Amino acid sequence: MIIILAVFSLLAVYSSTGTLAYRFRGGNTEAFLFKHGIILFGGLVLTYICHMLHYMVFNRSAPVLLVISIPLLIYTIAFGAELNEARRWIEVPLVGITFQSSDFAKLALVLYVARAISSKQDYIKDFKSAFLPIIAPIIFICALIAPADLSTAILLFFTALFMMVVGRVSLKYVALLMVLGLVTFSVLVILGQFFPEVVRLETWISRVRDFVINPEGSYQVEQAKIAIANGEWFGMGPGNSIQRNYLPGSFSDFIYAIICEEYGVLGGGLIIGLYVLLFFRVARLVTKSSKAFGAMVAMGLTILLVFQAFANIAVAVHLVPVTGLTLPMVSMGGTSVLFTCIAFGVILSVSKYVESITAES
Amino acid sequence: MDIKNEVLYRIYFLFFALVLPVAILLFYKTIEVGIVDGPSWRNAGQSMYVEYRPIEAERGNIFSQDGSLLATSIPYFDLYMDPNSTGMKEEDFNLYIDSLAWCLATYVDPSYTPGGYKEFLIEKRLSGARYVPIKKKVSYAEKRFIEQFPLFNLGQMRGGFIARKRSERKRPFGLLAQRTIGYVREGAKPVGLEGYFNDVLGGEEGTQPMLCVDRANDIWMPIEDLDAVEPQSGDDIQTTIDVNLQDITEEALFRAVEYHDADWGTAMLMEVETGAIKAIANLGRIKEGWWETYNHAVGTAVEPGSTWKLASMMALLEDGFVELEDSVYLEEGSIQFYEETLEDATYFSREVDSGTVRQVFEMSSNVGVAKLVDRYYGRKENINRNEGAARYISRIKQFNLNLPVGIEIEGEANPYIKEAYSAEDNWSGTTLPWMSIGYELRVTPLQLLNFYNAVANGGRLMKPYLVSEIQSNGSVDEQFRPTVLKKSIASEQTIRQAQSLLEGVVERGTAYKLKSEQYRFAGKTGTAQINYKRTRRGKRVGGYQASFVGYFPADDPKYSCIVVINNPRKHGFYGSDVAGPVFREIADRCYHSILDLHEPFNLRRKPVLATEQLPAYDAGELEDMEALLAALDLEFFPEAPGGMGMLLPENDSLKIVPKPLPAKQVPDVVGLGLRDALYALENRGLQVKVSGAGRVIRQSLKPGTPVRGQVIWLKLG
Repeated sequence: MIIILAVFSLLAVYSSTGTLAYRFRGGNTEAFLFKHGIILFGGLVLTYICHMLHYMVFNRSAPVLLVISIPLLIYTIAFGAELNEARRWIEVPLVGITFQSSDFAKLALVLYVARAISSKQDYIKDFKSAFLPIIAPIIFICALIAPADLSTAILLFFTALFMMVVGRVSLKYVALLMVLGLVTFSVLVILGQFFPEVVRLETWISRVRDFVINPEGSYQVEQAKIAIANGEWFGMGPGNSIQRNYLPGSFSDFIYAIICEEYGVLGGGLIIGLYVLLFFRVARLVTKSSKAFGAMVAMGLTILLVFQAFANIAVAVHLVPVTGLTLPMVSMGGTSVLFTCIAFGVILSVSKYVESITAES
Repeated sequence: MDIKNEVLYRIYFLFFALVLPVAILLFYKTIEVGIVDGPSWRNAGQSMYVEYRPIEAERGNIFSQDGSLLATSIPYFDLYMDPNSTGMKEEDFNLYIDSLAWCLATYVDPSYTPGGYKEFLIEKRLSGARYVPIKKKVSYAEKRFIEQFPLFNLGQMRGGFIARKRSERKRPFGLLAQRTIGYVREGAKPVGLEGYFNDVLGGEEGTQPMLCVDRANDIWMPIEDLDAVEPQSGDDIQTTIDVNLQDITEEALFRAVEYHDADWGTAMLMEVETGAIKAIANLGRIKEGWWETYNHAVGTAVEPGSTWKLASMMALLEDGFVELEDSVYLEEGSIQFYEETLEDATYFSREVDSGTVRQVFEMSSNVGVAKLVDRYYGRKENINRNEGAARYISRIKQFNLNLPVGIEIEGEANPYIKEAYSAEDNWSGTTLPWMSIGYELRVTPLQLLNFYNAVANGGRLMKPYLVSEIQSNGSVDEQFRPTVLKKSIASEQTIRQAQSLLEGVVERGTAYKLKSEQYRFAGKTGTAQINYKRTRRGKRVGGYQASFVGYFPADDPKYSCIVVINNPRKHGFYGSDVAGPVFREIADRCYHSILDLHEPFNLRRKPVLATEQLPAYDAGELEDMEALLAALDLEFFPEAPGGMGMLLPENDSLKIVPKPLPAKQVPDVVGLGLRDALYALENRGLQVKVSGAGRVIRQSLKPGTPVRGQVIWLKLG
């Protein structure tokens, strides 16, 4: 399993660095490649460390992480660095790295929900003692992320929702949660009328409108489609992408299109297949797992990763409006890669302990 | 187990109900876009054609020695509008189009009415145009102004404003040293300093993604993109060229080529001590008049003629074969070498039977020089340790005359010196005598000048150079110091003798007409025949090449200079008549314009002051005045220190008297200059009215009157 992950991450990284090498060939190439290389290496180290830790460590730290993430998110909304008119980043003082606080919150929330669901398994169908403590943080965190980064919030919301589905929460309550989510969203939209610089209503509307009224897609989507078309079945070969030069965000939001261009539609299918396989493998893991938390956390993180990946791909093939979600492990983008690596590390940690227990018994 | 099964059931439900279908849908969409609709998207891809294209860096400046700009790049901008820019919003366009059209019609193109311009822009937007020219060749200030227009001030993405920077190479001094400054042009060989320092001046190209908006006409529009790599401006180079001397040189040369109706001429001025080239002028005939067409000084190797005789004489002296006072029989001006006859052009050898070695050189006798060189180097079995001509050639090499000087200009021609007895070089019995007087060999004017410069410099051979510094953003990046090519090209004695021979040429030799009363200079004339090889039936078709090379002042050489004028058709052809006067004019004007060549006038004792010259009636602080008078070495009677004082004349010395200026009373300002008086009076709150000019001779209020802001009239005279 580790091998599969490593291979597909390497494959994708090759693609993305190939793009970078071309784009920044004038002087900056080395610096960018180096930076990306360091982040990737750091990420892999993090994966390894997380995988060495017993996953129960994450169980214990979950509430702490959640508590930390709340002020971080508030700080981001209030004082965060702006990029493309969205406040999603915090600049870490001294180091000078920007850091996307929602990445941190995602991880914390999934860990927390996994912990809550697993510890309340015995009375999980109860409304007051089980349901409320779980959904309160979900709504709260998602509401904090949503103003600047709606797509991440929705993604996270649905991840939690499906975790609850998997975690045997009564479907009645899950439906209730959806209603609650809708209500929160509506409140945000109303707030957006009064605080346009905090809630990016205008962007949401324009993106959705773009998607609805423009069947060909915006310039970016158009370029992405051209890239996919260029690839045909078998692709133009690694490093031969043309569209990477014309497609803004080719190394992050639209990397799927570039993968298709270089490795063909089949290469794209392989990526989709790998994510499906990931889901399937983790499902198998859950089957073997004896501990509820391990199962829940692995499942939750997998849902998060797979959903995010699908959302990203859906943008590239013009199924949904432009979201700004990255393709986990593949796209370039500092903290996103690091948190993805941590998520993989946690999944691997669960896997390792489950495998060892299975082996013993 | 029940719980676990429920979990598993839900997971697989999720997998089959959601994950798998979505995955299949995504893959299906990928196939649809990539394969089913593939061809149409690929076509779309080809019509939108973007490329990373180079953007030129700003070229560095070329400065003269004193920092004047010899060549510079003036930036200008071509302005365009992209009415269909990706980021331009419909509401922005509609909101600002009226004001924009008004601004454009009012300030940029008055041939439009605001309404007309608006229509024009709307039409362009509707037709899908991407790259509408607004105005070409605007200055930076104008670009800044237009940039502020409504809509444009939203930037390129939202406002569609595109400014493309271009630049134009200008030479503020025009023709001056044009060929030496040179140029770099597409499709032409790079020339001069621009060519040689192209890498330094050129900077580093940047890249900018550009969209092809018109494939037929190859028109590219820059796209705003973070990936653009900014170009790096080129560095500046500081040359050794002195604009004043260059001007003098060029002007003198110009008059000569015009007066003598020559084919081309070149003149060059070099600083003796350093080898720095201060001026370099080249004028070649064009249809009408003369122009800096080719750098003959550097690129044209010619048979120098008589100016070469210095090398021959120095070889003979260095080998100790002759003394300056040895006598030579001059063969009545004509001598036979094999079947060729060598003749003297001057009257000298027809007037005397024989002359001294010194006279031979000073009167530039071909027969004398050729005979001496042939006698001592012409035969192997002679005193000459059996080396013969090889020894002569080795002396020439000792003087570095066989090597290029390595100037920083593209296209320096190599000297051509035959190897002794070499069949390849067509060495014959007549080669050596003709070589000795400057034929059957070629050197450039610069190479010859550098040889003379070494003689002026006491034998030390410098490397001629034109560039002293490379600067980036005003700070020195690299400095080029004078380089010694050879510590000494000949023995001290030989150099001294060579110097005295060159001085003799001007004192009493072929250039005696050029002699100056004010300073002494040294040099050698040359009158070379050109095109003599085309001779048919003994008739020459070609003309002459007049030259003069030397240095000044003779006693402490500051500058060396060469003047070569090719094929003069009118008013004489001798070096002393054609090139010599140009040298003299350059030398004269240099000599007069350069301060450190002159003795200061006022080194003599100070004159005794007449009373009326004394600074009488000047007032000021006592201490200051005393210090000043002491410094000027003027005699004065000191007064008790402190307070204001005034100088009074006293026969031929000065007396300082105190001039009290009481605080609340009208002071006595008679004798003060207006400035001092105003200071004193207005400080006390008095209003001053003045008539006349000069010092104060009368004041309307008596000294000592209490001050109450009155008006005081001053009469000056």
